[in-house]
Amino acid sequence: MLSRLKRGIGTGEVRRDYKVIRYSPWLLHFNTGACNGCDIEVLAAITPLYDPERFGVKLSPSIRHSDILVITGAVTKKAGERLRRLYNQMPCPKFTVAVGACACNGGVFSKSYNVLGGADRVIPVDIYVPGCPPRPEAILDGIVKLLKLMSEGSVGDKCEQ
Amino acid sequence: MVISVSSKLDFFSKYAVKTEIIKPKRIAFTVKSEDVRHIFEELIKQHGHGAFYVSTIAGTDLPGENKIRLDYYVVLLPEEETIVIRTYLDRSNPLVDSLVDIIPGVLSGECETHDLLGVFFKGNPFLKRGFFVALDVAEKGIYPLRKDSGV
Repeated sequence: MLSRLKRGIGTGEVRRDYKVIRYSPWLLHFNTGACNGCDIEVLAAITPLYDPERFGVKLSPSIRHSDILVITGAVTKKAGERLRRLYNQMPCPKFTVAVGACACNGGVFSKSYNVLGGADRVIPVDIYVPGCPPRPEAILDGIVKLLKLMSEGSVGDKCEQ
Repeated sequence: MVISVSSKLDFFSKYAVKTEIIKPKRIAFTVKSEDVRHIFEELIKQHGHGAFYVSTIAGTDLPGENKIRLDYYVVLLPEEETIVIRTYLDRSNPLVDSLVDIIPGVLSGECETHDLLGVFFKGNPFLKRGFFVALDVAEKGIYPLRKDSGV
């Protein structure tokens, strides 16, 4: 995908055109050490019952094709390295959603010796969906809110400029 | 315990220091640590590799007794009966013979018990620190499952 740069004259402001992903954001779901509760809810959220395709949301087969990274679970020290590597492999522009109390701030595991904390300890996070686990509606709501922020251009794309 | 299983385990009486039922339908044989390998060798010799598998190796730190308890959970086939082969190691020098050359499936169990609890399996060339435990913890020489590890 080409991200076209538009530069406001004299302001130094950098803006990119999100038209393509606004229409069809591809998701990738990554578990950094969750108890599987949030994973089941994420899977439930992509079933026809909740029908995320009405928002254009589809699952991506590879991190290299995805626009949104959905993270579940407290980030362990081991998974943190992998999460950072995945994030670096994502094409630009890229966005992240932390699903569940653990991905938001480490949850009940936050003081554990092998846990770094929430996903934002490793990578930038755009939307937090708290809950243990959050309902599928809440997860979809978070993603739709992210789409809205994208279309408004009020969320950064984290691309190196 | 099913009769067919108990007949399979006749030779255990040679090694077992203590036999106890730790919960309904679960029998545990406590053996000396140097006999663990002999038991598995004899199990293979008498019934073959297809007659059992080692489901898991569970280590427990017992600082009060200065011991580490090692439980081999063995599932006997085709009865699907689980038995426990239990042994106690010296906590200051936890050393036991490896089974990885006769039962390749114990590799993950032995490596995990080594990384988390510091048990050394003599003859296992694949033991290393830092695969299961985070590297910063492993580099300090901390075994996280020991009660006094302080993590």
